[in-house]
Amino acid sequence: MSRNSEKWSVVTGRWSVRKSTYCLLLAAYCLLALGCRYDMQDQPRYTAQKKSDFFKDGKAMRDLPEGTVSRGNLREDKAFYTGKKETAGGASAAPVQTMTDASGNTLVASFPDAIEEFPVPVTEELINRGEERYKVFCIVCHGPVGNGDGMIVRRGFPKPPTYNDDRLRNAPVGHFYDVITNGWGKMNSYASQVPVADRWAIVAYIRTLQISQNPNGNIKMTSSNSDNTTNTTANTAVTATPTLPNANRQGGAR
Amino acid sequence: MAQVFHRSANNIARISILVSIFLAGLAFYVYTQVARSSYLTGRHIEKQQPVQFSHKHHVGDDGIDCRYCHTAVETSYSAGIPPTQTCMNCHSQIWNDSPYLEPVRASFRENKPIEWERVHDLPEYAYFNHSIHVAKGVGCSTCHGQIDNMPAVYQENTLQMEWCLSCHREPEKYIRPKSEIYNMEWNDADLTMDERNQLKADYKIRSSQMLTSCSTCHR
Repeated sequence: MSRNSEKWSVVTGRWSVRKSTYCLLLAAYCLLALGCRYDMQDQPRYTAQKKSDFFKDGKAMRDLPEGTVSRGNLREDKAFYTGKKETAGGASAAPVQTMTDASGNTLVASFPDAIEEFPVPVTEELINRGEERYKVFCIVCHGPVGNGDGMIVRRGFPKPPTYNDDRLRNAPVGHFYDVITNGWGKMNSYASQVPVADRWAIVAYIRTLQISQNPNGNIKMTSSNSDNTTNTTANTAVTATPTLPNANRQGGAR
Repeated sequence: MAQVFHRSANNIARISILVSIFLAGLAFYVYTQVARSSYLTGRHIEKQQPVQFSHKHHVGDDGIDCRYCHTAVETSYSAGIPPTQTCMNCHSQIWNDSPYLEPVRASFRENKPIEWERVHDLPEYAYFNHSIHVAKGVGCSTCHGQIDNMPAVYQENTLQMEWCLSCHREPEKYIRPKSEIYNMEWNDADLTMDERNQLKADYKIRSSQMLTSCSTCHR
């Protein structure tokens, strides 16, 4: 009570001191608010690829902590996510053999770890998707039918090996997937540009190109996925009935 | 009592009313023109970038698809500026000693992003999503112009609300088949109005009432 009466006491003169202090503080606060005025056009939030003043590395888009698994993306399906057999990487695995071609490219000559069959159903839809993606990401170097004569090669990029020789016609599908994912030779990894499901679509389209350039060869497009029981071979190629791929294997998964 | 105003004051009063209405109208017209001018909207002004990157060369001459670099355009609100690694997919091998590309190589060496100048900067109170526009038949060049003819990219349109609304009111005038989204040469006259109305139905584009509702863009 005594404190209160002191606060409001005019006689002591302390009130007027406080009053002027409050006035000053209020004025300072108003000035502060002016200085902090944000325009609605440029709001104090982060949007894609904006610079951050808060984090040391300046990245507003944060990397996931190592080992983070988002729900439903455990990646336990080794064949689908790596293109390699379950046994791959073991002590008894045969080493990958390489050779060097005339233009100095180091080529893979044996494919002990790569899976032979598509881990997704091979459908017309998959191949069409693959064609679209191939024409975005691959055609620039590998060319329209995979002979390695794309526009960037004509501009001076080292020529990649053709898809249309016996070595790659007989290469298992897992090898193509692995090269898209991890790169090989002069080719960088495309993992950040092409999601997993699209990589398999591109592999299916590469097989289709190989069949188109060698229609009488016995190039197989078979799937280990139970959703697809049709074994498509060269003679019946690309006529597989379109069915919807597994919902959880579409797009998205990077 | 004598008259306060001379008879000619009537004329002066009339003229001054007319002139002030005219001046107010003129001021409003000038305001609308200034608000739409490239000085305020940034339209048709080329931005200098840290690297002399030419869309004309990469898109027009080399024929690289938009999505090779702008990978997120179909799945995200932002089309995405590519990381330096995307440049190095090719430029680790070609033009890899060009002084023009030194900022790119420095960025790759030091793991520091190239700080590109933003060309299209919508105000943040407007919600915009690339993926839905691409999925509903709005092509790149409809908004961005013929990028394959731009050595340095500039803003082709005002990005003002009246410009957004011109399409949200009548989307059938601007849409195209999904297979032609990334075609820079697409001409709206390639399709008849009936065909475009059919596309609008096929792509399940909502009514103009829905598309022009405030909360469609201001969320």
